[in-house]
Amino acid sequence: MGMNMTRRSMLEALGALGVAAATGTLAVGAPGRAEAQALGAQESVQDALKRVFGGRPMKDGAGMIKLDIAPIAENGAVVPVSVEVNAPMTPASYVKSIWIVADKNRIPIITRATLTPDAGQAFVAANVRLGETTDVRAIVEQSDGTLLVAKREVKVTVGGCGG
Amino acid sequence: MASDIGKIRIRVPQNVKAGDVVRVRCLVIHPMERIERDPQGKVIDKNYNYITRVTATYLGKPVVTFDLTQSVSENPAFSFALKATAPGRVTVTFVDTHGGKYEGSADITFA
Repeated sequence: MGMNMTRRSMLEALGALGVAAATGTLAVGAPGRAEAQALGAQESVQDALKRVFGGRPMKDGAGMIKLDIAPIAENGAVVPVSVEVNAPMTPASYVKSIWIVADKNRIPIITRATLTPDAGQAFVAANVRLGETTDVRAIVEQSDGTLLVAKREVKVTVGGCGG
Repeated sequence: MASDIGKIRIRVPQNVKAGDVVRVRCLVIHPMERIERDPQGKVIDKNYNYITRVTATYLGKPVVTFDLTQSVSENPAFSFALKATAPGRVTVTFVDTHGGKYEGSADITFA
């Protein structure tokens, strides 16, 4: 009985893996990876910001952006970061995207969150990976194209990028 | 455990009133391989498997999309806000770089 159960659950697991592998090669796998590669590259944070935002000016958003992150991260592999923007979320004026960037990561750009006015509030949070002690930036793009940035330093005790 | 990959937990608040802006938290079990280096210390290029896109919809309309790079953590968790206009379903879809697609949902009910 015990043996049977183990064997069954193992077969099921193997089956699921097979299906995932098959769909991966046929459909979504390749483009998904290509897109992720385009968003994040191994580069310096200056190059990353230049590539993504061109030379567009960024205003200091420290008053509007609440970047919440622990000042000391003991484990760089999982660091919770949240970003809240004190800005209206109406179809006329809303926060279009929120970027989280870690200056010293091998791949500085961590995520781009694209929001719609239906969110009601410009708030996102994610668990990220930090390679070493670094500045973390939240960059906010509003629907009129205005860019705002807020920055905080995080001390990392154990790096999370396989260093 | 391979069979745990793609397990999703979504938390929506209780006692929601119409028009409230609520925060939804979601998590997917998705381990990430460690970066490996050769004896010279150079990073060995591998086809890492990580979550690259997270899409959240509420009442069938998109609320937020996260596009992610390799700097995302393993078993990533995300939070976002949405304006609860009617009782309905929040669906979150996770896609990884190897074509895995995982979907979870939770219902928003009014008190």
